[in-house]
Amino acid sequence: MTKFKLCKIGVLLSSMLVAAPAFSADKTVNWWYESANPQQQEILSKNMIDKFNVSGNGHNVVIDYRGDALTQQLRVALLSGTGPDVVQTPGPAFVASMARAGQLMPLDDIAANKGWEDRILPFFMDLGRFDGKLYALPKTYETLGLFYNKKVMADNGWSVPTTITEFEKMADEMVSKGIVPIGAGNSNWRPANEWHVTLALNSIAGPDNLQKALTGEMSWTEKPFLDSVNALKRWWDKGYFGDDYFSISTEQMISNLAEGMSAMAPTGSWSFGDVPTYFADQLDNVGFAGFPSGEGVAYPIYALGIGTTFSIASKAENPEGAAEVIDFMFDDEFYTAMNNEWQGEWNLPLRDLSGIKLSEDVLPEYTESMAALASAIDKNQYGYTSWTFMPPNTNSYVVSGIEEVWLDSISPEQFLAELDEIFQRELAEGKAFEIPAR
Amino acid sequence: MYRLFLLPTMIINVAVIFIPAILTIVLAFYRWDGISEPTFIGLGNFERLWDDRIFWKALKNNIIWTALFLTFPIIVGLIAASLMLTVRRGSTLFQVIYLIPLIISAVITARVWQGMIYNPQSGIVGLLNRFGIEVYDPLSRTATALYGVAVVDLWHWWGFMAVIFFAALRQVPQEQIESARIEGATFFQMMRWVLIPGIMPTIRLMMVMTIIWSFLVFDFVYVMTQGGPASSSEVLSTLAYRQAFYELKVGSAAAIALVISAFGLVATFFYLRLQRKEGEE
Repeated sequence: MTKFKLCKIGVLLSSMLVAAPAFSADKTVNWWYESANPQQQEILSKNMIDKFNVSGNGHNVVIDYRGDALTQQLRVALLSGTGPDVVQTPGPAFVASMARAGQLMPLDDIAANKGWEDRILPFFMDLGRFDGKLYALPKTYETLGLFYNKKVMADNGWSVPTTITEFEKMADEMVSKGIVPIGAGNSNWRPANEWHVTLALNSIAGPDNLQKALTGEMSWTEKPFLDSVNALKRWWDKGYFGDDYFSISTEQMISNLAEGMSAMAPTGSWSFGDVPTYFADQLDNVGFAGFPSGEGVAYPIYALGIGTTFSIASKAENPEGAAEVIDFMFDDEFYTAMNNEWQGEWNLPLRDLSGIKLSEDVLPEYTESMAALASAIDKNQYGYTSWTFMPPNTNSYVVSGIEEVWLDSISPEQFLAELDEIFQRELAEGKAFEIPAR
Repeated sequence: MYRLFLLPTMIINVAVIFIPAILTIVLAFYRWDGISEPTFIGLGNFERLWDDRIFWKALKNNIIWTALFLTFPIIVGLIAASLMLTVRRGSTLFQVIYLIPLIISAVITARVWQGMIYNPQSGIVGLLNRFGIEVYDPLSRTATALYGVAVVDLWHWWGFMAVIFFAALRQVPQEQIESARIEGATFFQMMRWVLIPGIMPTIRLMMVMTIIWSFLVFDFVYVMTQGGPASSSEVLSTLAYRQAFYELKVGSAAAIALVISAFGLVATFFYLRLQRKEGEE
């Protein structure tokens, strides 16, 4: 190596050392995200990382995609005092135990400082409070409803059912015509079972009864819940779910709906994200409505869920930066940018949406469904999703137990008795969620 | 001084095996959600498991799994290995072919079988149905889900056994094989009286390892059925995982882990006893 080359390397290294402080002046904020496909990662990178990191607030956000096992990884990391600054959990039920164990930072001061109370719907702020302190903000609120194929419905002279009686009558006709009434599948996501349980409990037992059960005022073995589970069992036995429930993935569920193999698909608002892919050039055919209600229950009831929450780890290396990242998201510009490109996952509960104008490319059904959900909350016609409002063991039992009911391993009565036993135990252990009054 | 050479291994073993093992044993006697303070409950976790029908179902499934893996891959592996020994031509190529399923990630193998073979819409099962041949996705039935997963794991596993047995067979003294041939031994006589006795220690080791591995099975079951439908394919490790990470019952999951370890220990105990007996003989 010549002296000249050595000199060049020396100059290069010195310039790197001089330049290094300029790169490291901004403090890093670590955020572990769940799974996202490459296209979704690009959207998040464009609207979050690129804009946040040049906003001049002295922080650089780094998003690490951790996949479906994010929650499990978070638990281990927080327990050992490591982990990200921004803690993303799958719902308030998970926040409760983490907050009580001192793994999360109370956000009350930051909220007051940043004016979050003025920007976020109070109902959702309350869902992030435990023992009088604010620990989490919801990333997105979601609901369950009935996606349907408008063309299949119109071709057969069917209209969207609003009562369980109408629903069952129509479903019987569908079965006789070889059309699957409830397009559904759980092969890639076993907890899809709980969507159906949630719908039945909210629409047949009703949200008032459900609220009583979730607060321990009413037993899960009571008649309204038995009626709900009996209905699910009846629908299964009559073939409403088709023959391939355990083989079909949630993507195939939407694909089958688009192809008219099924007429309806009870699923969550997050499925709007799959609609453009599978409905492609027939977007006009997709419809979304509330799930039909049982006797004595108002229509529609939209079960409310919080898919994800944001918190700050109590041992965060950069809590100020984490607060800046969270604050950045609860903003009209970010809301618009994300919802224009990635519907269903970024329905941030902003208090005032009057300044939001989504692109014309966004499905009108999506915008309407979100407006319907907001209206349902306003009219007290909201319900409770199992994954948001049930404690962990009870929720897990709902997922596995309903399969046993469907496949005749246990009776609906036994299912509810076991559900009640598990719930009462978790309630006594302080793991049940604090349900806000209706 | 030479004992210092043991230090790195000792540190790794203590940190990675000994401490977690002790913690797991201790946790089995506590109620702990993985986050807050653990509470000592004595044998409470074991009592609850005793009354848990899913635990018994999972244990039964592990026993069925062990029986399947103690027979099929060992028998097929032995036959394939002895054929490679007899017909030497192409044995290297066959070893590579047999090993290919093993080197593919379990998750990919499981997803390929689930989506491209078993799926009634996108898989071969769906194709056969369209041609009027009525078959169903084994993963969707309670009676067949466990076997549906086992077929995939067996497909991925038996080649490994064949290669191990082939390596062992090559150590059998050539004179014994030659003299058996001269005596006019048939293929099965050769297997029965020369080859199998010659590699018995390897077969025994593989059987013990199979018992241990069968009680640890997790990946294929978790990816393909997550224990369903209706817990029909639940095994102890998927149950422990669900309890630890979804139901926040870490103590109970630790108790299940102890049950899994107990089966492995029993198998190891018998193996060591046999080995000692052989040594004495």
